[in-house]
This record gives sequence, C-alpha cells and structure tokens, in this order.
Amino acid sequence: MPPLRRSPRSLAIKGLPAVLVVLAGCTSRPVTVEADQVHSLYDIFLIAAAIVFVVVAGLIGWSIVRYRSRGSTDLPVQTRTNLALELIWWALPTALVIGLFIVSAQVLGQVDRTADPTVNVRVESFQWQWRFTYAKQNVVITGAPGNPPELVLPTDERIGLELVTDDVIHAFFVPRFLVKRDLVPGITNHLDLTINAEGTYSGQCAEFCGLLHDRMLFTVRAVSPAEFNAWLAAQPKSAGTQP
Amino acid sequence: MSTAEFGQGRGLGQDRPLADGAGTTHRAGIIDYLTTTDHKQIGLLYVFTGLAFFIISGALSLLMRAELTMPGLQFMDEATYNQLFTMHGTGMIFFFASPVVFGFANYFIPLQIGAPDVAFPRLNALTYWLALAGGLTAFSGFLTGGAAAFGWTGYVPLSDATYSPGSGANLWIIGLALSGTSGILGAVNFVTTIFTMRAPGMTMFRMPVFTWNMLVTSLLIMLTFPVLTAALAMLFIDRTFGAHFFDPAAGGSAILWQHLFWFFGHPEVYILILPFFGIVTEIIPVFSGKPIFGYRGFVFATMLIGVLSYSVWAHHMFTTGVVSNLFFAVTSLMIAIPTGVKFFNWIATMWRGRLRFDTPMLFCIGFLFMFLIGGLTGPFLASPAIDYAVHDTYYVVAHFHYVLFGGSVFAAFAGLYFWLPKMTGRLMDERLGKLHFWLVFVGINLTFFPMHVLGLEGMPRRIADYPASQGDWTMLNIVISVGSAILVLGILAFAWNVVRCIFLGRGRISGDDPWGGYSLEWATSSPPPHHNFRAIPPIRSERPVFDARHPTTPVRVKPAAVGEGLTDG
Repeated sequence: MPPLRRSPRSLAIKGLPAVLVVLAGCTSRPVTVEADQVHSLYDIFLIAAAIVFVVVAGLIGWSIVRYRSRGSTDLPVQTRTNLALELIWWALPTALVIGLFIVSAQVLGQVDRTADPTVNVRVESFQWQWRFTYAKQNVVITGAPGNPPELVLPTDERIGLELVTDDVIHAFFVPRFLVKRDLVPGITNHLDLTINAEGTYSGQCAEFCGLLHDRMLFTVRAVSPAEFNAWLAAQPKSAGTQP
Repeated sequence: MSTAEFGQGRGLGQDRPLADGAGTTHRAGIIDYLTTTDHKQIGLLYVFTGLAFFIISGALSLLMRAELTMPGLQFMDEATYNQLFTMHGTGMIFFFASPVVFGFANYFIPLQIGAPDVAFPRLNALTYWLALAGGLTAFSGFLTGGAAAFGWTGYVPLSDATYSPGSGANLWIIGLALSGTSGILGAVNFVTTIFTMRAPGMTMFRMPVFTWNMLVTSLLIMLTFPVLTAALAMLFIDRTFGAHFFDPAAGGSAILWQHLFWFFGHPEVYILILPFFGIVTEIIPVFSGKPIFGYRGFVFATMLIGVLSYSVWAHHMFTTGVVSNLFFAVTSLMIAIPTGVKFFNWIATMWRGRLRFDTPMLFCIGFLFMFLIGGLTGPFLASPAIDYAVHDTYYVVAHFHYVLFGGSVFAAFAGLYFWLPKMTGRLMDERLGKLHFWLVFVGINLTFFPMHVLGLEGMPRRIADYPASQGDWTMLNIVISVGSAILVLGILAFAWNVVRCIFLGRGRISGDDPWGGYSLEWATSSPPPHHNFRAIPPIRSERPVFDARHPTTPVRVKPAAVGEGLTDG
C-alpha cells in the first residue's frame, strides 16, 4: 500500500450535548391547556434524544480517539458479528420507540379532542388574509393588506375553531398555542383549545399559499370572559351576509 | 478479451496507467462522451451533472440567505424569492442528489459485482440524457419570465392553472416527469444487472453493501417513481386540458395530490439516503481495517427501511386533519429502529480497529455526527402532537438539512474522495480535503443548528420576510447567514480540489488501490479498462480484494456453491 498521510487528530465534539439542553428552553412558552401537554411531551422526547445522543456520540468519539491508528500496520482482529450484541441493539431502540409511541398517543388524544366548545369562531382564509366570524353574535373581522386582523378570544373557556378556505391551502398557526391546522379546499377542519393566559400572541399562515404568503399575519388577543363579552357586544353587527 | 484491447479504456481525459503497465493511453473527447454507452463514462457524466446542479441550486439558496439576513425586503420581492426556494428544493432533490446516486451506481455496481457493464447499456445512455433534459427543462422556467413558485412539493390548488398560470409551472412538471421516467428506466437497469450479471462466486450475500443498498433503492424507485409521474400527468392534464382530478368544486380532491406526492416523496427520502448509507458502509470498514460488523443484520435493516418507507408517507400530512395520525405515527417511529441499528453497525466496525483519518473517513465521521442529529429530530416529527407545533417551520428545515446535507452530501463527499481516484486515476489533495471538511463541518452546524431554535420559536418556512418585532429571529438569521458563508468557502475548497487534481491533472497518480480497498473495483486499474476486468480474484466473502491481499487470514464463510478461482473478465 502506498504511504498515505495519516491524521492522528481526533474529532473533539464537545459543545453539542450542551446545545441540546439549551433547546429545552426554546419552545415558545405555551399558553393553552393543550399546549402545556405538548410541551411536556416535547420535554420527554428531548430527554430521550439527549440520552441517545450522549451514548451514541460518546461511542463514536471513543472509537475515534481510542482506536486511531498510531502508525501501526498490524491487522486488527477481524471480528464479523456477535448475535447477542446484535439482538440487544435491535431490542433497545424498539423499547424506546414503543415508550415514545405510548406517550405520544396519550397526548394526541387530548390535543385532538373536539367536544362541547362554549365559544365558536369560524376561521376563513383566502389569499392573503383572514376572516374571523362569530356567527351567533353576527360579528365579522376581516384583515386587509398592511392591517392584519385580530382574533379576540376568551381565556378559560373551551374554544371551537371551524377552519375553511376560499382558495388554496393555508394553515392556521399560533406559535404559542404549539399547534397548527391546515385549511383545505373542500374540507372543514376543527381545532379546539382552551387558553390559560391573557395576552397578545402573533400568528400567521404556515402553509405556503402563493405570492404574499409571508404577509398573511394575524394576532390573537386573549382576554377574560367578561372582557370578551363586552368586546363582542361593542362590535358593529355584520349586514347579515353570514349564515 | 485480448491484451491489445486493454488500451481502449477511457478515463476523464487523463493518462490511464494500467494494472499490467502494458496499456496505451487514450484521451476521451467530447464526441466520446456524447455518444457513449459505457457505464463508467455515463457514471462520470451523471456525477458531474449532479455537481453542476449542486452549485446552481446552492447559489439559489445563497440568494435566499442574503434576503433573510435582515427583516424587510432588501434584494428581491416575494415573486423572486418564491421561485428561488422552489427551484432550490427541486434542483437539490431531483437534479443533484438523484444524479449523483445514479452516477456512483452506474460506475460501481458493475465493478463491485465483477460485470463488464450494466445489463442494458443503450438504455443507460437514454436514462442519463433524459435526466439531463429534465433538469434543463425544469430550470428553463427562469428564462420564460418566472420559474415554478409553489414549493418543490407542488401542492394543488396552488399549482393549478388558476393560481400558477405561466409556462414556468408547466416546465417544472415536464422536467420532473422526464427525471421520473429516467429514474424508472435506470432502476430497471440496476436491478437486472445485479440479478443477472454477478461474477462467479458473487452470491447475493457476498455483494458489497453499496450494491445491496442500491438494489433496495432501485426497487423503491421502481415502485414509487411511477406514482409521481402519474400524479404529474394528472396535474398537467388538469392545467392544460381542464380536467378536475384535484378540483374539489368539481368532485376532485386537493388532498389526493398530497397522498400521491408523499407516497412517492417519503420513499424518495430513503432513495436519497440508502445509497449514501452504502457508501459510508464501504468506507468505514476500509479505514478501520476490519470487515463491516454484522453484514447480514445491516442488509436486513436496509430491507426493513425499504419496506417501512411505503407506510409512512402521511406523516407529512398530520396537520391536514384527514389522515389517521396514530397509524402513521406508529410506522414513522418504527423506521427509527432499523436506522438506529445501523449506527451500532458502524460503531462496532470501528471498535478495536485501526482507524486512518484520510479525507474519505473524515467525511464519514462527520456523516455519523450530522446524521445522528438529523436522525434524532425525526421522532419529534413522527409524534403528531409535536409535529402540530413544528410542522412547516424552520425546525423541519433544520431536520432535513441535517439528514440530506449532513447525511447524504457528507457521504457524497466521502464517496468522491474515496472513488474519484478510481474513476480518474488521480488522488485528490489531502490538505485541501481536510480544509474542505472542517469548513463545511463548521459551516453546516452554524447554518442549520440555529434553524431548530427558529422553528421552535415559530418562524414558518418559505417566507421571504419576517417582522422585525419577532424576538431574536433577526439575530438567529444573521448567525445562519454567516454560517452559510463559511459553508461556501468549504465548497470552494472542494471545487478547487476537483479542478486542480482531476481536470488539471495535478493530483498524485492513485494506482490501482490507494486505500487498501475490499471490493472488486480495487482489483482493476484506475480508471478501469473498457469492460472493467482482465482477471477477477476468487470471491469467497464480501471483500475479495482483502482476501487476496491477506491469503492467510481465514475467511469465516462457507465455501461457495459455484465455481471459484481466476475468472476471465
């Protein structure tokens, strides 16, 4: 074999596990009952991922440092397989995946639940704005270019959103709700949630929908139920064009 | 084959030293490349076509990075930006990654199984020219007043005639259909070659892992590309002849496109990673001085990934509200098992080995770390409730760039440093190679890691602009753009390395076997002669060249059923 340059240098990958831990603080702070559960689920996944990362990256790092050729040309032992070892390393990820699925299924059941909302709002998307309709009170809020609409919602009440689109596919996304749902032509989607913190939260379309997708913004203002009712009563009634 | 014919082999315009030193040299001209049916020349055409589209598509992403660095629109309007990300994705997936896979497969499947060429050489040439035509067609949209601008996923109704009028969209559809057709024909060719043209002694379980992975990949292509091509045809008919396949107002379904697209699209992800798993699995054992640990288990894991990849497509559709999220969560999480197992194979191969860190191995190590990070964010996205939060945000962008850049592209670089010497007879420069590696390694992490944070903070993908009021989005985007600049420096080091060592011929002569390789491609000259082999060493394991080099090391494999010994090529 021709002499090739050998690099005894090892790859020292040090900062990455620390960075993974930093990620725990990076999810948007949740402001709904459902988002709290998603956040807990995320933390479980993050812990599992961090453990796997440390173990696997550690084994790779150890191999690189410990078994680098130090100029020796002896042939190492030509180990081909070890059945017991292989069975173990098929079993470990299998067990982990089963565990992750069980917690995922539990949280998904909670997040997807749609039953008995006390406040109903119809969310309508079109290129490139939103329309929010409070049908019972005959109140309609429509966004205009440069003037994103505000979706006012009460805290501590179960809210039912009905999601429809007038043209292409859009997605209703409020980062602090930790949820998004698509608005698809020909389909009526539902999203139920319970807000547990007052405040103003930004939202925007998350499914690419054409030219001005980036400007399809809205805000959610969460207020107390009393304030919400006062706000609703003060809104001008729509001219009855809504069903 | 007579000795005289050995002089007719063709390399990349380089002097071609022969194993027996008896050959003449031949310089392949442009006409040779335009008319060739030789699998090695077609392989080179594929690889360098892929690299050209890598540069073009990468340049598009740099324009996007320039725009995203600061809030507000500084360099372009949304109309331009939307074309850029559409063609960046389209170019990287269809016209960079696939051609590079086909290039390596074309060049090395026949060599690794001891065959003189692929089963259908003329079909092979057609396959290449269709792929090139596809790429040129899709990108020609830029010349017609606007390329396609609906994302590489082409969701309807946005991609229909109402919302995307103009020829750019039609050219995109035709370009992808050509590329899809090319893929199907190429896959048929590889499967036939592998099943029918193995050298005596080369049983299925003695095939190198790269060839095994290409077999599974080819089967995936044969079953999924027709679905894409059919969907494209339906879209084209909708747009051009007024059909209503995807129009809910006329009884069609907008969601149907997503099902068809992702039924192709998710196996496509494995089509773009399995061959690169194969490349890494060729290189790590060679530079560890050991055989691959758990060869059969590894091959089984590849098959399992192939089978499972058909049942996971709707995890791209969790937020549509019309698929069974629990079912697709199960299947998507399950695919983490065979993928995770491969890491143990790679680690156990290095364990107690003698590791040499030449550039190909360096990129494999980089691959292991980057693919580990990309792999670990996968289960988050497979859990529907978490996906609701991060779907269509930069978190997903980070995930698939770690998998496809940190995974596939790192492995492609490893493969190029490993195999270009075989393909051209010239070694690449090790110092430039290491510079290339470290710049890209730092650049990729600085570019793509902060995208996880951006996504968790709710920045959607595919937006040309973002509000300045959004927390630290600006700060993160500046870091990302700096990272991408470092990445560019790394790519420039690579480009100079290729130009200097290969095209200007200033790389050292590689000889037949510069790395101490295992599989049959190292048993012939660099580049190999026409029809590849004059003689083939006996094949008694998956690494015949190693066995020939170490005749006293026992081969713990039962004797072959078919004839052994020297075989005329």
